[in-house]
Amino acid sequence: MDWQSWLIGIVGRALAFGTPLLWGTLGEIYAERAGVVNLGVEGMMILGAFSAFAVAQSTGHPGLGIMVAAVVGGVAALIHAFLTVTLRANQYVSGLALTMFGLGLAGLLGRGWEGIPLRQPLPDVTIPGLAKIPLLGPMLFEGQSILTYAGLILAVVLWIILYRTRWGISIRSVGESPATADALGVNVFLIRYLCVMFGGVLAGVAGGFLSVDYRPSWTEGMTAGMGWIVIALTIFAAWDPLQAIGGALLFGALYHLSYRLQAWLPPELLKLMPYAFAILVLAIAGLGGAGRRRGAPGALGVPYARGEK
Amino acid sequence: MKRVGPFVLERRLAPSRAAVIGVSVLAVLAALLVMAIIFWGYGVSPWHAYATIAKSTLGSRYGLMEILRRTIPLLLCGVGLVIAFRSQFWNIGAEGQLLAGAVAATGVALYSGIPAPWLLPTMFVVGFLAGAVWGIIPAFLKVKLRVNDVITTLMMNYIMIYIVEWLIHGPWKGPTMRGFAYTDTFPKAAWLPTLPLSRVHWPTLVIGLVAAVLAAFILARTRLGYEIRVVGESPDAARYAGINFLRVSLWVMILSGGLAGLAGVGEVGGIHHKLLSPVQVSVGYGYTAIIVAWLARGSPIAAIMTAALFGLIFAAGDVIKVALRMPFQVTGVFNGLILFFLIGVELLMYWRVRLAPKGERWTGKAGSSES
Amino acid sequence: MRRLVASLFVVAVLGLVGLAAGNIKAGFIYVGPIGDYGWTFAHDQARQIVDEEFDWLETVYVESVPEGQAGTFIDQLVAQGCNVIFTTSFGFMDETIEAAARYPNVIFAHCSGFKRAPNSATYMADFYQVYYLNGLMAGALTKSGKIGYVGAFPIPELKRHINAFTIGVRTVNPNAEVHVRWIYEWFNPAAAKEAAEALIAEGCDVFAFTEDSPTVVQVAAEHGLPSFGHYSPMYDFAPEYVVSGQIVHWEAIYRDFLMKVHDGIYNPTNLQHVDYWWLLSQGAVEVGAKPGMVINPAFEDDLKAVVVNDPMLGEISVYDLVMTRLHQMGDPGVTYDPFQGPIYDRQGKLRVPEGCWLSADSLVTMEWAVEGVVGPWPGEPTE
Repeated sequence: MDWQSWLIGIVGRALAFGTPLLWGTLGEIYAERAGVVNLGVEGMMILGAFSAFAVAQSTGHPGLGIMVAAVVGGVAALIHAFLTVTLRANQYVSGLALTMFGLGLAGLLGRGWEGIPLRQPLPDVTIPGLAKIPLLGPMLFEGQSILTYAGLILAVVLWIILYRTRWGISIRSVGESPATADALGVNVFLIRYLCVMFGGVLAGVAGGFLSVDYRPSWTEGMTAGMGWIVIALTIFAAWDPLQAIGGALLFGALYHLSYRLQAWLPPELLKLMPYAFAILVLAIAGLGGAGRRRGAPGALGVPYARGEK
Repeated sequence: MKRVGPFVLERRLAPSRAAVIGVSVLAVLAALLVMAIIFWGYGVSPWHAYATIAKSTLGSRYGLMEILRRTIPLLLCGVGLVIAFRSQFWNIGAEGQLLAGAVAATGVALYSGIPAPWLLPTMFVVGFLAGAVWGIIPAFLKVKLRVNDVITTLMMNYIMIYIVEWLIHGPWKGPTMRGFAYTDTFPKAAWLPTLPLSRVHWPTLVIGLVAAVLAAFILARTRLGYEIRVVGESPDAARYAGINFLRVSLWVMILSGGLAGLAGVGEVGGIHHKLLSPVQVSVGYGYTAIIVAWLARGSPIAAIMTAALFGLIFAAGDVIKVALRMPFQVTGVFNGLILFFLIGVELLMYWRVRLAPKGERWTGKAGSSES
Repeated sequence: MRRLVASLFVVAVLGLVGLAAGNIKAGFIYVGPIGDYGWTFAHDQARQIVDEEFDWLETVYVESVPEGQAGTFIDQLVAQGCNVIFTTSFGFMDETIEAAARYPNVIFAHCSGFKRAPNSATYMADFYQVYYLNGLMAGALTKSGKIGYVGAFPIPELKRHINAFTIGVRTVNPNAEVHVRWIYEWFNPAAAKEAAEALIAEGCDVFAFTEDSPTVVQVAAEHGLPSFGHYSPMYDFAPEYVVSGQIVHWEAIYRDFLMKVHDGIYNPTNLQHVDYWWLLSQGAVEVGAKPGMVINPAFEDDLKAVVVNDPMLGEISVYDLVMTRLHQMGDPGVTYDPFQGPIYDRQGKLRVPEGCWLSADSLVTMEWAVEGVVGPWPGEPTE
């Protein structure tokens, strides 16, 4: 097989598998940029996956399913926001609780929906003009999900918002130094609430993509640890939406390659790479003396209480 | 300070013991109440559900033994996490450390050739060391390179999961297992003895109880324990007192990871007698132990009680599945709820309600309610 | 302790009374969720069928039982009064045998294992003949000469199936290859999807698989490629692309076993040598895209158009060859077996001598790969 079709195949599959990773990571980046770690990504994703499937199956509209998944993800994240922002509870524990709760609840509600093929999955899209471009066309613009394109565009938009607008400055300042932001008149609580919920919305969409597009059916536990890859990817991407694209592509490619290269490499080796990469990247940043400065928001994981030092 | 009608909410610096226990019990009760609603919504009478669970777990010797069996790994991991949390080290990696112990014990049981009386003790020692090694990597990274401990411990769980997968699919796949993904069964000398008519591998249980007492002693009475507490409660003071963070963190994670490793030895030596798929070796004990430790509020002795409570919840999950015909995911929902309520009511512990006549002068600093 | 003894006694008495009165309460222990659309789903369908058929039978089940905990659930089912217990996963083997020793009055049957006891039988419905028939069709339908197979675990059961499938493929198309990828899980649709995509990227254009979801069928259909359903009828997932497939009828075994328990033919002392190894001729398995549809009509013409030269049957279309072989293996006196010598493994070693068939024991311990299999094959004998 020539190298071109190899490349086209791998990039195409990396995009498909990387799509839910990208959506989830973009959301987590915003939550963490505002200073709130949410380890509940897995829980929010699975709730999104189930609700998207249930709605798409009963109404016949996969798009509606995705929208409901977004709302469900947002509501799930609201629990986390309430606990960590208002009640100033430990963010890590709250996130773990959200994951346990989400996996359990989705499994409980999802009984009876398992093993049914979705009657109307989200259609794949080929972009007419761009698909004709040699190499790049079939790689990027042929037969991908609409959510794949939307995720790529969203990443660019979110990058612009984060680095080129007043909103972005507010978000970053809240995550960097909430006391300073507060003093400057930024509503720390509101921004944290919004960013955490936005993270939930995107995680919900990521889950919905799995159940109405990637493999149009519902199964208990179908996110299969993707939420934790998202956490790793957020670090790997240095909390930067554009780098998240590259990271999602890389991790997606690794997953696909674990099947392509099976005859030569143990698949487990490629599957543990994302987790190892996350640690490695943090360690290298630490070696370089950058410590947690490599994009990590300064007040990450720290609850903010007004009037307290 | 907040004013609600004639009442004043006052903040206190250290919660009283009664407040801690009261608030914790309140959280568990709240979770039970929400669960009751879920039972009801599922068409199962909550009263019937709880009665059935109580009868089939606490009400029979068999049920009690099942609780004990689940308590063992939760206790070992839980005590380790209590130590870690006391020093503000966020060890989310008990699951991976448990698996590391299971892997090491398997290696010793199948491939070391150590003679019978020494085989089990060696499995425990090597299992402890393996868990400790898996634990000190994040400790080293945290202190030396300032890498976030939550992330490293979490990621290392998954790395260990794939290592176990690789071992059972590849080099350690048992020739007698007809190609299935298991190692061979351990020789009988590597099986932990159990209490009659049960799966309670009592040596591991004894080790767990001893570990809890020892950990309490270390924390309360030794120099290391003092340093752990200072590092956890006031890092600045610790720095000022010249405490060596690396040394403390390494010790904390040797103990924390090592104890989780022992739990892994118990699971493969006492229950499975072989290494198998990581999700079967540990059904999430390492994660549940986080709740065990959180609920124990820094006390290893209290972890005995909280581990037993979650042992009960695991056993109840089995009953729910068989007797109530409800899916096992109920357990996950319940664990999530308990955790939500536990951390949700945490702030309550730090407030005291007092009747105060109007007109009394403000004593506290300006709070958000007054601005 | 006294209460324990008393309750064990009550359980034992109830068990004996139940057996004597001819009433059976059968407990099923499943490894997966009943909604998995594969292994557990099929067992549960069969449970419901026999439950309705016999008014002397009551059934209960426990799903998603992790390994290492089957013993716990067996205890609970016995406590509930079950006197027959089916454990339906290889991983439950040791726990079943241990439980059989613990409850000598209860009858056990373990699916897919090889350890038995006086009160514990084994049973298996095997697909290898069906895979061979599917292979004949696949060999006729491939244009690239490459057929993809997504496998769960490299265990003898799958190796036997892939080999039988490949023998079928090569009967029709002597140069075709069967490319194999493993996903190391019984159920993981995401992995099955990526593995299928990887095979498509390598040029495979017909698909068979072992995984408990219709994912491979769906992926192949998206690319407009034909495939063979696995375990449950998968015709409805892609009516234009599912050629045929493997369908299991566990109820055939459960019906026979439970009737024999009910009639007193089986009792807790005489099961040491009871081993069901049921195939096409016993009706435990079926070839087809869905029950009653051996070959999807959409592919009939294609299969009739390809003609092969069989040493015994002469010039014959693949369609007729499939039907002939189906009769030879499905009728009570079986006159054909896919593993009919001479068969060489892919390293050139003669595995089945001319004119011989393989014994059941050689079939269930098969580790070698037949000529034509391409890809990783963990545990392949090197000698």
